[in-house]
Amino acid sequence: MARQQGWFALILALAIAAGSVLISPGFPLELGLDLRGGSQLTLEVQPSGEITKVKPEQLEAVKAVLDRRVNGLGVAESTLQTVGDNQLVLQLPGETDPTRAAEVLGSTALLEFRAQKPGTDEELRGLMQLRAQLESVLELNKSKDNSDSGDQNDGPSPEQLAKAQKELGLEGTADSEQEQLEQLLARANEEIVDRFEPAGLTGKDLVTAGRQQQQNGSSWEVTLTFNREGGDKFAELTRSIAGTGRLLGIVLDGSSISEAGVGEQFKAAGITGGSAVITGNFTAEEARDLEVKIRGGSLPLPVEILEVRTIGPSLGAENVRRSLIAALAGLVLVAIFMLLVYRLAGVVAVLALSLYALFNLAAYELIGVTLTLPGTAGFILSIGMAVDANVLIFERIKDELRRGNSLIRSIETGFSQAFSSIVDGHITTLISCAALFFLGTGLVKGFAATLGIGVLLSLFTALTCTRTLLRFLMSYQSLRRPTNFLPARQLPSSAV
Amino acid sequence: MAVSSPTGQERPLRFPLSRQRRKVWLISVIVLSLSALGLVLSWTNPQIRSPLRPGLDFTGGTKIQLERLCKDNCQDIRAIDIQQTLGSLTLPAEGRDQDANTLPNLASARVQLLDRGESVVLRMPALTASQGQAVIEAVEPIAGPFEVGGQSVDTIGPSLGGQLLRSSLISLLVAFAGIALYISIRYDGRYAVLALVALGHDVLIVCGVFAWLGLLSGLEVDSLFAVSLLTIAGYSVNDTVVVFDRIRERQREDGDLPLDAQVDRAVSATLTRTIYTSGTTLLPLLGLILFGGSTLFWFAVALAIGVIVGSWSSIALAPSLLSIWPRQRTAGA
Repeated sequence: MARQQGWFALILALAIAAGSVLISPGFPLELGLDLRGGSQLTLEVQPSGEITKVKPEQLEAVKAVLDRRVNGLGVAESTLQTVGDNQLVLQLPGETDPTRAAEVLGSTALLEFRAQKPGTDEELRGLMQLRAQLESVLELNKSKDNSDSGDQNDGPSPEQLAKAQKELGLEGTADSEQEQLEQLLARANEEIVDRFEPAGLTGKDLVTAGRQQQQNGSSWEVTLTFNREGGDKFAELTRSIAGTGRLLGIVLDGSSISEAGVGEQFKAAGITGGSAVITGNFTAEEARDLEVKIRGGSLPLPVEILEVRTIGPSLGAENVRRSLIAALAGLVLVAIFMLLVYRLAGVVAVLALSLYALFNLAAYELIGVTLTLPGTAGFILSIGMAVDANVLIFERIKDELRRGNSLIRSIETGFSQAFSSIVDGHITTLISCAALFFLGTGLVKGFAATLGIGVLLSLFTALTCTRTLLRFLMSYQSLRRPTNFLPARQLPSSAV
Repeated sequence: MAVSSPTGQERPLRFPLSRQRRKVWLISVIVLSLSALGLVLSWTNPQIRSPLRPGLDFTGGTKIQLERLCKDNCQDIRAIDIQQTLGSLTLPAEGRDQDANTLPNLASARVQLLDRGESVVLRMPALTASQGQAVIEAVEPIAGPFEVGGQSVDTIGPSLGGQLLRSSLISLLVAFAGIALYISIRYDGRYAVLALVALGHDVLIVCGVFAWLGLLSGLEVDSLFAVSLLTIAGYSVNDTVVVFDRIRERQREDGDLPLDAQVDRAVSATLTRTIYTSGTTLLPLLGLILFGGSTLFWFAVALAIGVIVGSWSSIALAPSLLSIWPRQRTAGA
């Protein structure tokens, strides 16, 4: 009896926990794109040239580039994931026109090393100073938005901004201060790039980029390694600007990510040997950022768009509504059926199945299952299996009662005899779920996830919840009658 | 385990399977032959050239679905008008390797009206995003206005469909192997073979039905159909295992009876359960078929057929085959 009460308390605690997970805003039920509307793009990284097979680090590098571009699109909650060996899936919730996304992602990133044009020192210095100011103001605004406790910034004054705006030809085009700052920054970046001239050295010539700690201690430097041809070009480029005060610009996707001076000692031959370091008092994090940018931009592999799926939000809402109605209608019918056929045990089954549905939804939220249309189907199907477990148990109990066994004994025997077939049936389904989940793709995975969770929970509810509830009800003398389980005419005469 | 003698009390349902087994096999063989015929006809059909009519998910291409804003005049629209408009539409060229000759040919576009004209589905060769927009704009004068946010554009490269098919097949084979291994360990090899026979029977019949639907009404199978086959496979095994579990129990307890009688008893004992379970699984599916909307309609139909066929194979086919299996006593009396 004490053990049974322990189970009862456990189930109650779980139900409360599941209920609070459901209402807690911390764990929202994630709906898939097919239910909430949005676009999904599938991209494939194409091997090109000497590279015949895409390696994981190359895939990651492509992802780094695309991540940056996707963030530029400004779609909230966009996700970019790698799939398999050479694919990326981009999800843009709420975006119903993926034309722009497709264009932005499809273009090839270009990393270039450029030399500063002669005689632009002054302009460049001014622009770089402006850029630094703008960046710090924007950074400050960002943190102010979050904490709302920023003091007066020491960035450029409104007059300075207005002057810069005039110089850059952006007067009166911005609606807000934020937009004004962003426009200025973008234009400043363009102007900076304009002060450099292409030198024919691009990401294709770069083998890799890395970072290391400088020998003097705390600061970091970024290392570059070129192929033979790139090494020669780099030597030529650095020789031409060494000692002149002109800078070496590293330009990624048309905007300058770094400018570096070349020391006078390289005047004779340039930086030779095919490798170089960029120093600049970088922190570990700054060095890593630059390294990732350079590495990402240096990736010579093209990307092809394999699939674009768009579902309007109203189609999604319609699907949700209909699936929910379908699920509920089916469940109500199942509940009526169980009550009619199994009487008191049917009440237990309906309670256990309600707990089952509750646990399922809570599990989706806790694990972070994204509910898609096939996922919903998997859930509805798993309900069928959960019902099956209850049917198996109750049929056994009825069998035992028909043989004239006492009620309590019939219940115990029913559970123990149904046990092996329930476990076998559930495990075989779990095996297919596991195969589908780990080997399947996309929607097959979503289906396998909800079905798998459903099957596991069904094992628990059928073998624990149903049993505990039934035992609990049987502790009431008034309920302990075989006719609560099946019609009297089916009972052997001795037992009635 | 205390079990009283099963003699005496009448069970509500009895099924003398061993006497009916020739009929059972005949029915299964006829349905299987019809299914195979459908698959072969579909394969030899010059328009399909595949056992099932493959949908966009497998062939690649663009599908545009548009929800129309219309009330009483929804049925006034004719698919042929849209088809003609598409046929005469010139798409904007795009990218480096597209010129007038390699532009997607819209003459082969297929137009379908759903929900009594409330939505239009266009199936075309693969289009780029802006070409898709051009198509929507071209169709708007005839079929518009469209519901805001009620459009979906799917473009799938053919390689992705192949990949889906491949990964589904691989995962299915691995699942089969895993299930067979599990049953061999828990029961024995015969049961594993028969469970897989029942499973193959179920999957083949569902495929056959959809092959006939593809031949007769042009229904295409999509990736959801692949998902439904996987589900049917899982359901079929689950269903069969319960019956096998009962047969094994009978072998333990009625060891002195002939195998036929053991199988009959086991099947009769699980008959109610199998019917109830199929019924309760069919109820939510029925809900999906009636209220689930067009997206899940055929998915639910496939599952429903699978559940019905699965019950048949686990009640009738698999146990009847077991009763003629060369007898090797593995379970002790």
